[in-house]
Amino acid sequence: MDFLTSLESTGFATWLRESGSIWAYPAVLTLHTTGMGVLVGANWTLDLRLLGVGSGVPLQPLEKLFRAMWIGFWVNAITGVMLFAADATTKGTTTIFFIKIGLIIAAVIVAVLMRRVVYPRGQQPAVPPIAKALAALSIVLWLGGIVTGRWMGYIYQ
Amino acid sequence: MGDFVTWMRATGVSEWVRSDPMTWPIMEMLHFIGMSLLLGVIGTLDFRLLGFMKGIPMAALRKLMPWGIAGFVINMVTGVLFFVGAPDQYLKNPAFYVKILFLLIAGLNALIFETRWGSRVLELGPLDRTPTAFKVAGVVSIFSWFMVLYWGRMLPFIGNAF
Repeated sequence: MDFLTSLESTGFATWLRESGSIWAYPAVLTLHTTGMGVLVGANWTLDLRLLGVGSGVPLQPLEKLFRAMWIGFWVNAITGVMLFAADATTKGTTTIFFIKIGLIIAAVIVAVLMRRVVYPRGQQPAVPPIAKALAALSIVLWLGGIVTGRWMGYIYQ
Repeated sequence: MGDFVTWMRATGVSEWVRSDPMTWPIMEMLHFIGMSLLLGVIGTLDFRLLGFMKGIPMAALRKLMPWGIAGFVINMVTGVLFFVGAPDQYLKNPAFYVKILFLLIAGLNALIFETRWGSRVLELGPLDRTPTAFKVAGVVSIFSWFMVLYWGRMLPFIGNAF
C-alpha cells in the first residue's frame, strides 16, 4: 500500500471521513475556515495599513497582529493535515492542492519577510517601498490561497 | 412556503444563479474572501475596543472600517444570491435561522454602538482607559461574527443542503 492509501485508511482518517458526527469532518472543516479568516484577515489588515490605509495607525502596536496570524496558521496547519488525511488519495493527487500549498507557503514567507522589514530589531518600525511591495504581494497570494482552497471543495464532483 | 419557493426559483436572478455550474463556486470564493476581510478589519477594531493594542488611537483605526464594510457588502450580495438561487435549501435548514439570528445581533450591536458611542469612540486616544460599554460591544461583536461563521459553515452538514 502506498503512503496516501495507508494514511487514508488509518482509524482516525476513517472516523473523520465516515463517522457522520458533526464533531468529525464538519467541526474540523469549520475550524479550518475560522483559522483562515483569522490568519488572512489579520494579514490583510496589516497589508492595508502598510499600503497607506489608516496611515495614522502607529505601527508598533499593530505588530500584535502577527500573534493572531500565527494562531490562525497553526490551527490551519493542524486541521489541514487532518482534512488531507481523510481524503489523502484524492487530495494528494490533485494539481490544485499543490498550487494551494505553494501559494500558502509563499504567503507565509512574505509575512515573515514583511515583519523583518517593517519591525527591524532595535529600531523604530517603518514602511520602506519594499514593505509596500510585500503587502501587495501578500494580498494577492492570500486571494489565491482562498480561491484554490475553496476549489478543493469541488474536486470530487 | 412552497409557493414562495416556487415563485423565487422562477425569478430571472434565481435562474441566473443556477444557469452556469461555475457561478456557485465563484460566489463561494467571493463569500470566503469577504468573510476574511470582515473578520480581519472588524476583529481588529473589536480587540482595540476590548483594550488590546492600546497605543492605537481609535480615530485612526476607524479609517480601516470601510474595508470591513466592503467585506460585509460582498457577503451580503453573494449571500442573498445564494438564497435566491436555492431558497428551499435555506428555508428548510435550522442552521440558516441561527445564522440570521447572529447576523441580526451583530448588526444591532454595531447600530446601537454607532448611534450611542460613535462620536465618543473617536476620542479614545492612546493608553486611555477603555469604557465598559466599549468592551461589551467588542465582545458581542466578536462572538456574534464567529457564530455567523460557524452556523454558515455548518449549513451543509446540519440541514443536509447543497
